[in-house]
Amino acid sequence: MIESITKQLNIMIKKQLLFILAVTTFGYVNTAHSQSPINGFMQGKGKGNVSLSYSSEKYDQVYLVPMETDGVPVFNEVQINSKNLFATYGVSDKLDLVLSVPYIESEGNASQEVLNNLNFSNTRKGFQDVSFYLKYNPYYHNFGKSSLRLITAFGLKTPLSDYRADEGLQSIIAIGNRSTTVSGVGVAMFKMDNGVFASGQFGVNLASNDVPNSLTSELKVGYAASKIYGDAYIAGQKSNGGVDILAEGFQGFFPATRVDYTKVGVNLYAPIYKAIGIAGGASTIIEGRNIGKATGYYGAVVVKF
Amino acid sequence: MKNLNIKSALLAFTLLATLVSCNNDYADQKPTIANIAVTNPAFSTLEAAAIQGGVAVVLSNKNAGDASGNFTVFAPTNDAFARLGLVDAGSLGALNNTFLTNTLLYHVSNGNLLSSQFMAGGTTGSALQGLTRRFITRGSDVYINGSKIVITNVSASNGTVHAIDKVMLATGANIVASAQAVAGGGVFKKPELTFLVAAVVRSGLAPTLSDPNANFTIYAPTDAAFIAAGFPNVAAVSAASPATLQAVLLNHAVGTGKFTSEQTALTAMTAGGGTLTYSAFTNGTFTVKSNGITTPANMVIPDIHCTNGIVHIIDKVLLP
Repeated sequence: MIESITKQLNIMIKKQLLFILAVTTFGYVNTAHSQSPINGFMQGKGKGNVSLSYSSEKYDQVYLVPMETDGVPVFNEVQINSKNLFATYGVSDKLDLVLSVPYIESEGNASQEVLNNLNFSNTRKGFQDVSFYLKYNPYYHNFGKSSLRLITAFGLKTPLSDYRADEGLQSIIAIGNRSTTVSGVGVAMFKMDNGVFASGQFGVNLASNDVPNSLTSELKVGYAASKIYGDAYIAGQKSNGGVDILAEGFQGFFPATRVDYTKVGVNLYAPIYKAIGIAGGASTIIEGRNIGKATGYYGAVVVKF
Repeated sequence: MKNLNIKSALLAFTLLATLVSCNNDYADQKPTIANIAVTNPAFSTLEAAAIQGGVAVVLSNKNAGDASGNFTVFAPTNDAFARLGLVDAGSLGALNNTFLTNTLLYHVSNGNLLSSQFMAGGTTGSALQGLTRRFITRGSDVYINGSKIVITNVSASNGTVHAIDKVMLATGANIVASAQAVAGGGVFKKPELTFLVAAVVRSGLAPTLSDPNANFTIYAPTDAAFIAAGFPNVAAVSAASPATLQAVLLNHAVGTGKFTSEQTALTAMTAGGGTLTYSAFTNGTFTVKSNGITTPANMVIPDIHCTNGIVHIIDKVLLP
């Protein structure tokens, strides 16, 4: 009797977990240090979610080589506000489609005199790069009270508007690097029935527009109960080559710079009414190279179908 | 089984965590000259000037014009720029951009020039049309032109940086042409020395002051100084008696071109036969008094290097 109840409870918990966990990548924005759009969960055939997020990040220090500097050259401080439409849909139990469309506003804080002197502007905004991923789950094993899932994803990211990245130092606040990037991602996801999970992933990114190719990685641990979901992650990027800002080889073309970073962040999600939930999170860069020492926050509304 | 899973997972995640964090193996790397200007708060105006003057990228790279690939930069501090009223990046808009670029190039030379090579009386060519700068020692201090070298031998990956307490100014032109450039907005966008240029032309001294073989120290009164001396406008200068103007102007010229750092005597005989009295040299400057004025003139912009002399812009007309 007790065994039977426990078993039923376990099944219930699993279902609730699935409901929550399937919608955990909402704060994704294509800034220099975006969160990976690929998580360790699959939607299931015919299911999916759409989220609309608003995120804001800011920095006034930059990781240069060999040391970080106070004050962003020309612009002093940079604030990036983004709106992002993110959608995932399960074509089958083993195949998801992932789409992300960000609109980005990048604001500098240079004085009007400086803007006049350089003929610069404090604002660059527009639709940035659309990302599309095919996410495939070739392996799943249930150990009884835990499970292991392996996922591979293949993605394409390309500029959606005619924004510019080649305006010399004005492009310190460019909204993107105008590269078309092909990505391959591998994810391993380990999940326990008590709600604790952990995932790790690696991505390989092949870029155009003189942007160095890069490796990305993410390690995430989280907890999911019926009324709340939370995770914490550490993620990083390492570029293969590229130039350092204001170092040998730098010609004022920012897309060609070698961008490395390590960031940590948290995500929270709670269902609020039927299929609607809200999410929020924060992240900060803890070390880097040729990147702003940014801290950012986001909030999102998530609709699951 | 469960324990094994957790152990394997922990091991895998520890490995991943090591891999995700990026290691900064570049911490020992030397910064470039441009990077030094950007990361050092004492050079923030220089940073802005280098960006506005278009030399930031040049100073990020090896010097293609030198076999060693190095530059030597005499870097004016923020205080040095502030002496010219250039107190921040925004105020650099007061300068004509070509002049700003040329001024920056005057602070740059090829190769590594270390402090051990600063020889009193020696000169060093600059990246601005090869115009030279000269080293001067005064007490225990070393100057390049009128600028005191306050920090020496900062090593960069593409050269050497020395900090100086005054922006070095060179026109690459004779005294008259230099004054005309200032009057025409070619230095500061706002014209200055327009009264002086009119006076030089009216007095007939232009040929003397543009003589390439001459070598003068010229005290150049500002427009405000001429107005205070009784000339309401440029037209009034141009209508004044040439002989009177000549007498006044000759009281502003001294026989040899000297930077402030080279002026040790406290009096000097002018080309007009008058006497100028100088205050003690303090913080790179001194005051100048003539017999015809009661309070001495202050230097507004000292040490402008022209091809046939040194010009110090002052705030009073030195009446004989």
